[in-house]
Amino acid sequence: MNIFVCVKQVPDDYVEVHLNPTTGTPDVEGIDQVNNAFDTYAVEMAVRAVEAHGGSVTVAAIGPEKCQNGLKNLIAVGANKAVLLSDPALLDLDEAATASALASLIAKCEADQGESFDLIFCGKESTDEISAQVGAMLSETLKAPFVSSVVEVEPVEGGVKAKQETESGYAVYEMALPAVLTVAKPAYDPRYPTIKSKMAARKATIPMLTAADAGAVKQDNRVTCLGYSEPAKRQAGVRIQEKEAADAVAKAVAMMAEAKAI
Amino acid sequence: MKCLVYVETHEGKAQGGSLELLTAAAGLGEVKAVVLGSREAAEQTAAYGVDVLLAGEACCPDAATALLEHIIGEEKPQVVLMNATLAAKDLAPRLAHRLGGGCVTDAVAVEADEAHGVVFTRPAYGGTVLERLALTSAAPAFATVRSGSFAKPEQTGNGAVTEVDVAVAEDAIRARLVETVTEITEMVNLEGADIVVCGGRGMGDAQGFKLVEELADVLGGVVGATRPAIEEGWISRAHQIGQSGKMVAPKLYIACGVFGAMQHISGAMASKYIVAINKDEAASIFDVADVGIVGDVHEILPLMIEEIRKRKA
Amino acid sequence: MAYIISEDAKELLKDAKEFCQNEIVEQAKQYDITGEWPREIYEKAIEMQLHMMDIPEEYGGLGLSHIDQAAIVEQIAWADAGVAVTLNGNGLALKPVLVAGNEEQKQKCCDIIANGGWGAFALTEPDAGCDAANGKTTAVREGDEYVLNGRKCFITNASVADFFVVTAMTNRTIGTHGMSAFLVYKGTPGLSVGRHENKMGVRCSTTSDLVLDNVRIPVENRLGEEGTGFATAMKTLDLARTWCAVIGVGLAQRCIDEAAAYSKQRVQFGKPICRHQSIEFKLADMEIRTEASRQLCAHAITLADMGMPFSKESAAAKCFSGDSVVQTALDAVQILGGYGYSREYPVEKLLRDAKIFQIFEGTNEIQRMVVGRAVIGKL
Repeated sequence: MNIFVCVKQVPDDYVEVHLNPTTGTPDVEGIDQVNNAFDTYAVEMAVRAVEAHGGSVTVAAIGPEKCQNGLKNLIAVGANKAVLLSDPALLDLDEAATASALASLIAKCEADQGESFDLIFCGKESTDEISAQVGAMLSETLKAPFVSSVVEVEPVEGGVKAKQETESGYAVYEMALPAVLTVAKPAYDPRYPTIKSKMAARKATIPMLTAADAGAVKQDNRVTCLGYSEPAKRQAGVRIQEKEAADAVAKAVAMMAEAKAI
Repeated sequence: MKCLVYVETHEGKAQGGSLELLTAAAGLGEVKAVVLGSREAAEQTAAYGVDVLLAGEACCPDAATALLEHIIGEEKPQVVLMNATLAAKDLAPRLAHRLGGGCVTDAVAVEADEAHGVVFTRPAYGGTVLERLALTSAAPAFATVRSGSFAKPEQTGNGAVTEVDVAVAEDAIRARLVETVTEITEMVNLEGADIVVCGGRGMGDAQGFKLVEELADVLGGVVGATRPAIEEGWISRAHQIGQSGKMVAPKLYIACGVFGAMQHISGAMASKYIVAINKDEAASIFDVADVGIVGDVHEILPLMIEEIRKRKA
Repeated sequence: MAYIISEDAKELLKDAKEFCQNEIVEQAKQYDITGEWPREIYEKAIEMQLHMMDIPEEYGGLGLSHIDQAAIVEQIAWADAGVAVTLNGNGLALKPVLVAGNEEQKQKCCDIIANGGWGAFALTEPDAGCDAANGKTTAVREGDEYVLNGRKCFITNASVADFFVVTAMTNRTIGTHGMSAFLVYKGTPGLSVGRHENKMGVRCSTTSDLVLDNVRIPVENRLGEEGTGFATAMKTLDLARTWCAVIGVGLAQRCIDEAAAYSKQRVQFGKPICRHQSIEFKLADMEIRTEASRQLCAHAITLADMGMPFSKESAAAKCFSGDSVVQTALDAVQILGGYGYSREYPVEKLLRDAKIFQIFEGTNEIQRMVVGRAVIGKL
């Protein structure tokens, strides 16, 4: 099974992002760029599939040169190949334009390796924009079957079977290949790199392609951001810290009653 | 402006979050609704005074996509609104792509705008930042809208229900639905709750989490949970509050053993009154709480349950 | 300020940090209470190869520089000092083999560890702690074998080790020159492990007695020549002391981080207590001591890497780091006040963990002897 995993680098979501008061835009300076968590789940799912059934995992990102770092980290946890589409013309893409550029990159990788991909994985959403659109749009571009929020995948006669997490349980789909799947949190965690695999991966060179190399033409954005704001802040109220828990509870319940909350 | 609302159905009934969108759409211009497969839901929707297009039932997401593609292609609305369910979050970008439009996920505000037609507000970065987005393409703009962003409209007399006959081509089905399993049968109405009691990692284990359920029970509230509590398996994901769960706006929100990560708290910021219990003085939940009790939930909660029981008696 | 490490090592350190946050910090709290050896933590650490940083590259090791390694060890110790002590136990057991062993012995012990096994270094005896040369354990040669008899105590990893480096007297009449070192493998008849010490701190590490009752081992298990055991042990401790100091620094850094975080949100007299100079200065002293300890470690490591004498510097690092971490942990408890004394808060554990750093791998009194003698030289 040849699997292509689309990866986005995002500001570490352990850090709260706020607006820069001067520019009025999200201030992500100084926040570590990391691989989007759902994308790392997708890579783990892909690596497990390949370990079980053979094939190879290619990880790919669109972004500046420094994105090589995140891709190297994925080689350390089992990805076989990595490629970075890096071009000043491909900055600030909306979801549709991203899907279009990814489709070109996939075609380019397939041509170079003389083999097509069976599965294309994306994380179900990115932790920065949280729009959950690129995978769906990519499936439309490729006219390929699409299932979102996948937590298990296995080969079946003529294609794959994918288990999708839904609001009330799960659904199972079967489809021919190639297919586009977005991955939610499976039952397992992504593996840690070993020190050896990490050191070897650090030495890997990640091929960088320009838009022209990949045959990608920047598609005009359909969505533009007019500006940003922050949600109204709440003020911290009263803090109760008593030696006896009973006193704390009595105080708190009295305040709740006074505020007519109960 | 022509606006089409896709009313999703749940067991044949119009889903509440979808009906709220009629309010959003009314603020934009001429409104029509579309329902797949349920006359009951279509009539329920028409009771809010909008004309409804009723097409056949979709057997799977691919069929729903094909049906809506056809209807939207015929209707040519400028804006298509859907409630931000998991299913709609798949439909909207796929349809946007097929029809050449842009797509906005998880809008919390939708406003008519002179310069841009319509402007959407949506959270990003775990909810600390709000983006104002406009669509630049001439094709229909698609948006999924979060439940609770708009009030349910008044029932203002009957619109017409028109059946539309659309067939789904066989090759439109790319992923075949072979099984649907319902694991979570309970209806959890977090969005409409007046009181929400939410438990986090600090509840310790499944046994500890029961205290949250007990407090919710005596208060007549609904149980919420943070992502860690759900990943630990203490309660089903139908109870999740926050970025990847529900947005709530109760009169009283009690956070028990909840640290207060932005991804969670952004889902509860609209609460009128927030009470937090956490033994960690540094927990960020205290920054947004009206009342913060520094203490061990396992000690505090049984006493609070007792105290409230006494008051209710 | 921390160790100055390579870009690649910074990435490794991030992984180690993530591992520590996810797999050690919370879990260690429970193991600290029960005193159980946290096998699940170690199994994951082994998968990540955190247990084999002391294996030289030529024997299948990782090829980390010692400074890079120190940064990672510090990070693990930050999460839990006992876990760091356990992982470091492998390094302690490997050092005498690397110092005195032949190629075959070196490769064998490195392979055991690389495959997820453990090693233990058994020098201390009930009546021979600081005075290691007073050991009662004997090794008597009988043909192609040695017969070992005696009792070792306070042996880190003894209950889980796959190989032991055991010192024993081959000649009791000539003092330190009568000591030899041997490799003893788990399962050798006569070898048994005594009870697990119920320790005050570093409770994620296991410490026990090792009993040798007519343990017969082949002559080829001897490390180096007969009579070189004491020299091997001393070289081992010179090297090991620095790592002990490195662990102490990680623990001290945790004390600083916990105390600083608390002092920023604890409000008294209308302002966070870190704004009171008494607390601010305490934090400053904690930091100064810890950074000084860290740079003593870095210096000793650099000297060792350059092949220069480092015995005095290593002892100084161990002694200063050990004394510092105890004071820094005391300060952390003081800053948290009543909460610092409560088991609900993390710092009382840090104080219990800290005390051992003045005791093990040569008490700080011994370290002062080493440094003092180096200063005084020949009279």
